[in-house]
Amino acid sequence: MQTLSLSQELPKRFGSLFEQQFNHYKNKADFVAFKMISETTRDFTVRNGKPDMMHTFHDIGVLIEIMKDGHIGYGATCELTPDGIAKAFAAAEKMTGVSSKYPVAKFDMSVRPKSIGQFKSQRQTGLDQLSAAQIYDFLKKTSLKLKVNDKIITASAEAMVIECRQKYMSSQGANFEQDFNIIVSAFSATAQDGAETQTRSLHGGRGICLQIGSEFFDIDRTLAECEQTSAEALELLTAPNCPTETCDVILAPDQMLLQIHESIGHPLELDRILGDERNFAGWSFVQPQDFGSLEYGSKIMNVVFDPTASNEMASYAFDEVGNPAERKYLIKDGILQAGLGSLESQYRSQISGVANSRSSSWNRAPIDRMANINLEGGSHSLEQMISEVENGVIMYANRSWSIDDYRRKFQFGCEIAKQVKNGKVVGTLKNPNYRGITVPFWKSLKALTANNTVETYGSPYCGKGEPSQVIRVGHSSPYALFNNIEIFGG
Amino acid sequence: MKTYIKKFSEELFSGLKSGEQLGLFLHSEDSTFLRFSQSKVRQNTSVHQHEVTLQFNKEQRSLKMRFNLTMHLEHDLQSAKHLLDDARVQLMQMDPHPQFIALKNNGTSETFKKVDRPADSEVPGLIYETYKDTDLAGFWCSGPLRQASINSEGQFHFFETDYFFLDYSLYNGPKAAKGYYSAEKFSLPEFQAQAQATKNKLNLLNRPMQTIPRGKHDVYLEPMAMAEILGTMSYGSLSQGNFNKGYAPLKKLKDKELKLSPKFSMTENFDLGLSPLFNSVGELSPNKVNLIENGELKSLLTSTATAKEYNIETNFADVSEAPRSLDVRAGTLAEKDALSKLGQGLYLSNLHYINYSDVQTARMTGMTRFACFYVENGEIVGPIQDLRFDESIYNIFGDNLVELTKESSVFVSTMTYLKRELGAFKTPGALIKNFNFTL
Ligand SMILES: [Zn+2]
Repeated sequence: MQTLSLSQELPKRFGSLFEQQFNHYKNKADFVAFKMISETTRDFTVRNGKPDMMHTFHDIGVLIEIMKDGHIGYGATCELTPDGIAKAFAAAEKMTGVSSKYPVAKFDMSVRPKSIGQFKSQRQTGLDQLSAAQIYDFLKKTSLKLKVNDKIITASAEAMVIECRQKYMSSQGANFEQDFNIIVSAFSATAQDGAETQTRSLHGGRGICLQIGSEFFDIDRTLAECEQTSAEALELLTAPNCPTETCDVILAPDQMLLQIHESIGHPLELDRILGDERNFAGWSFVQPQDFGSLEYGSKIMNVVFDPTASNEMASYAFDEVGNPAERKYLIKDGILQAGLGSLESQYRSQISGVANSRSSSWNRAPIDRMANINLEGGSHSLEQMISEVENGVIMYANRSWSIDDYRRKFQFGCEIAKQVKNGKVVGTLKNPNYRGITVPFWKSLKALTANNTVETYGSPYCGKGEPSQVIRVGHSSPYALFNNIEIFGG
Repeated sequence: MKTYIKKFSEELFSGLKSGEQLGLFLHSEDSTFLRFSQSKVRQNTSVHQHEVTLQFNKEQRSLKMRFNLTMHLEHDLQSAKHLLDDARVQLMQMDPHPQFIALKNNGTSETFKKVDRPADSEVPGLIYETYKDTDLAGFWCSGPLRQASINSEGQFHFFETDYFFLDYSLYNGPKAAKGYYSAEKFSLPEFQAQAQATKNKLNLLNRPMQTIPRGKHDVYLEPMAMAEILGTMSYGSLSQGNFNKGYAPLKKLKDKELKLSPKFSMTENFDLGLSPLFNSVGELSPNKVNLIENGELKSLLTSTATAKEYNIETNFADVSEAPRSLDVRAGTLAEKDALSKLGQGLYLSNLHYINYSDVQTARMTGMTRFACFYVENGEIVGPIQDLRFDESIYNIFGDNLVELTKESSVFVSTMTYLKRELGAFKTPGALIKNFNFTL
């Protein structure tokens, strides 16, 4: 196409209005910042080789931040006209004014640094070069590959192709832009025979989440993976149920993704620890005094916040209030070091934090979020790890999750398991589940495979906040062996 | 907004070429969100958000394109025309859509509702003054919300409602009690009375903590706990499309292999008046759709697209096939008798983070949350430490369902992911025996 796509045209059209309006308002409160988010998503699903959902979303709007007597409030609008901005600014000013009489906290300017710069996520070829027909064709081929026979009743291939731009300017002098190309993808096969139905997917629901360009669409590799996925869905139809017992469990990286997310990421969020999320997402078993001393897990456990990882879902140069993003250990040799807290939470709690003030879009205020939370590899090969298991299972790909509001008692289910006896894989099991309690569970971590086995996944939909927000997170992990875990079947 | 969207859509319809159809679905809100902790304001956000989804149909193909309205006609038409021009090219590069349904004129309607509520600027003070003797964490949401479904065949449905809710919990250290307030007409005495009731519940938590072993216990579920289970059921389990694609927790019920209790009935009931009768393509649902009646499955929510694909009847569900106004039939137990009828067991005011642990057996797992008590001889003994349950819908609403309460509560949806969600649950409380706790 010769003309610009709307994803390129919109930020161009409204870019100068944004700067003009920011300059007009920047001195009208103790502190003023404007953020523009412009995001285009093409979300296509092909089912059994036929179009299922064909959606495109163009989301653009402005978030205005105002500080009054140390309290920060927000106005947001998609009415990108001088009148629209005036209305949003007036609403923010009024509500921030009355709220500043009853503030939870009073901040100073240190929570809004003067950051200047640019970030462009890792890519070989930009997603704007990719036509709808190319995406459709890829999904059609892969979904047909998944549908190997009539027992596969649903063969579904989905891709969300996301181009996102952020621009932030503040009266402190911050001025930065970030440009992201993201792909979220899901390939699944549901097999049915009589009363039995089983679904197998490539790395769980929407586990494939990457900052990447159109080089993602490697058809030969994906077709091979889809073939295996379907074969496993069919195999599950006749596989025995996972037994109920206490034994060794090896979790594959596409399940570790959720184990890290729910039992490390969320409990370490400082806004949860401070109580902001008590009514919705929940509190945390972690106490402020635990930082620097709590034995979170066994000595081989090393967890980092890493916004610098290339291609991982949530890499960036600045969080959304301009805090420069750096890699940091959250847990080192099993000991809790730092929390997932933004400059505001660090200011309130005096606990060491990271650059993680993020929002789902222009219409929500930034809060403490996960980004890339990664478990570092150990020294085992996968073969060596399996050979050390006398009686146990290997579980792959998350399909069910639940954890309490303090992030203590969890129960997770996976799509498929392999049974291990005397150091050898002896068969396939369906409906594998396990449960545990966070700290004892991580203390039972016995071995990790090496860094060259680490796989990177993520989620587009981590939910939190009032009003609610989703956020994109990335998690990479090796295979991990845990001792004495309660497992059970369907 | 009504005039604007009318003018905007007419301009677009006039540019359509022969054989093309265009539908518009509008979601627009002017919202005030106030987030509280320690009974004080953590964040205030005022949001003006107007999004329109264009559904462009041509030659058995269909593409949905959503974008935000700037409320400046020239800009918005420029964006829409850009999208339509792209769609004309892109659509022809794809295959025809097997569930393609041509747009038709489903008539016209207009609904305007507005509750009587305090000015937004009074809310921070109101919350602080009412709850300053305790620690409130939670969320106030208010303002108008509009939805419209319009198409090039002459259809024009517009729905506007202006409402508020306060969704909160009170804390005494780790002990917590949940509260909720929403009304057609805000009344200060009524608001203060519900605040006092939640504070009283929090005080009950001062009794000695009880440690309850895993295993089976009789329970009483307050309406809010019921709403959590119904919320999980709503998410996919009542969808005919999901059922046919292999996601079918209610398969044994549909196949009449299993039955629920004759006391259990569930209806999609638009007479609650909290959701528009039209769906995103403008089809009007019957006022009542019986889903489960006296323990038997009567129908699943079926969109016209699913109906076409599987050659069955539609009941005009939206594309998501999730209930929009779910009503569980009340029972005979007086709420005040719930404790004595329970005798010995657990009084659960809330449940949390429920998910299916096994779809095929409709088994759900989740946690107890907020004020939950151990009860003996019909009296509250003390709060319990949170427990994890893992139990099948076939037990919960089947043989183990003892009784439902006479009284029901209505919960306006508090969902605000991406945008405010319309919708409601009406449900009684429930007495259930042998509820299975696993951790
Ligand atoms: Zn999450």
